Amino acid sequence: MEAILKRTAQRAHESEDEKFLIEQAQNGDREAFEQLVRRHDRDILRLAFHMLGNREEAREVFQETFLKAYRSLGRFRFESSFYTWIYRIATNVSLDHLRKRQTLKEEISYESDTEMHPDRPALKDTLAATTYYSNPERRLYGKEVGQKIQDALKTLSEKERLVFELRHYQGLRLKMIGEIMGSTEETAKNYLFRATQKLRAYLTNV
Amino acid sequence: MNLNCKDYQHQITLLLYNELDERTRGELEEHLRECGVCKDALELERTMHSVLAEDTAGWDVPSDLLLESRKALADGLDRIENKRSWWRMPAFSVVFTPMRLLESAALITMGLALGVYVSNQQARVGPSVAANPPDSQGSVIPRNGTISNLQVINADPVTGQVELAGEVSQPLRFHGKMEDDTVRQLLFNALRDASNPGSRLKAVEVLSQKPTDESIEEALINALVYDDDAGVRMRALEGLKTFANEQHVQAAFIHTLQNDENAGIRIGAIEALLARNPKDPDLAQKITEATKRDDNPYIRTKVLQFAGSAK
Repeated sequence: MEAILKRTAQRAHESEDEKFLIEQAQNGDREAFEQLVRRHDRDILRLAFHMLGNREEAREVFQETFLKAYRSLGRFRFESSFYTWIYRIATNVSLDHLRKRQTLKEEISYESDTEMHPDRPALKDTLAATTYYSNPERRLYGKEVGQKIQDALKTLSEKERLVFELRHYQGLRLKMIGEIMGSTEETAKNYLFRATQKLRAYLTNV
Repeated sequence: MNLNCKDYQHQITLLLYNELDERTRGELEEHLRECGVCKDALELERTMHSVLAEDTAGWDVPSDLLLESRKALADGLDRIENKRSWWRMPAFSVVFTPMRLLESAALITMGLALGVYVSNQQARVGPSVAANPPDSQGSVIPRNGTISNLQVINADPVTGQVELAGEVSQPLRFHGKMEDDTVRQLLFNALRDASNPGSRLKAVEVLSQKPTDESIEEALINALVYDDDAGVRMRALEGLKTFANEQHVQAAFIHTLQNDENAGIRIGAIEALLARNPKDPDLAQKITEATKRDDNPYIRTKVLQFAGSAK
């Protein structure tokens, strides 16, 4: 009981501390903003790195997320936690990047018709060059299992991928994921269910 | 409410993510005792989780990527602030009426001239004498402040509104201990002063004396990885040597081994890694990989020595 009370008191203190930092940052205190960034930047980078699968885009999403937050912090009204707010920005930016990539993929697909343009790279090669698995860090870990999981994750829709990422890898509760998506816990549950169904089918059959 | 197997399988997903309340969990467990199909579904889902768990280590974000991203963000914030400093900050966004334009410009010019004169006098008398700023500068320019890069941003002939922008700098002197946040923040600011490597070197030297704080360690890593001046990087490396067994410091040292053009700094990095982690085969492998194209024979010998001792 004492431990619970202590944790509750600690959380309340952290929350007050964060509120103070946000207010300072809203008044133009860059140092306060940087402290806020430091509290969440590892999580945001991990989310971006997992969702986009390569360093360059992850770095872009990271930067875009925090610069957007910096520019619009004045409009933050404490209606949600800062954590939820920053995740919401990060997930939107990540989804935008995925959509841009999809557009690019379609353009490459059209342009790299191997019969029409034999000298151009095939789509699968172009995409392979930008995936998470093209990173040396990634190659250090179990190639086969990793590749299988990566292939399985590609079968998910954007939203399924996002919810699965936030629940499975980032460890967020479904209630919060619903808030981040601007939706409900029930919707998040449905996406998670569909995602796990697809992954289960892929990973237990391949 | 009667649930069918599809509903229960939905709940199995939530069960494995610990997202079920006690009552629903109890009902599901009761159903699983009776239903072979759902029990198989549970086993399959568990298998999927164990396959995913095998790859957990593969999802770590590389430490150097975090460093790079933080640096890129800091640069982005600098760019935004520089833009704002031209016309948004209250101290710089001064609106004058046409009647007072010439008078104000003249007063500012006089203020600048007086500032130069007083600062010359100060140099003669000693740094402790503070100059009294001209009254005309009022709240626009802080006491002892000087203006530079003054520009006319906008002059509307219809309304007569004029907007001026510039930079104000003020002398600063501060005493305090290293534990004092203000002292540390000033030192971190000095580290970001791109135009003054001497000041950055001094700041790194001071921060290296007591790198007990995580933020100091981080500042030293940033200096090691990104500073243009080899002296600053070398001093940062020395400050970090005692932490060469920590993962993020190792990542910074490996980044240095791969990217720093200064052989002396690369040698310093490899020696620090060797001294603090003599028996680490994983690290030896990473270092071997990072230095395989190094043209320095001493570094290659050191790497061989490291790889040998780690076996």
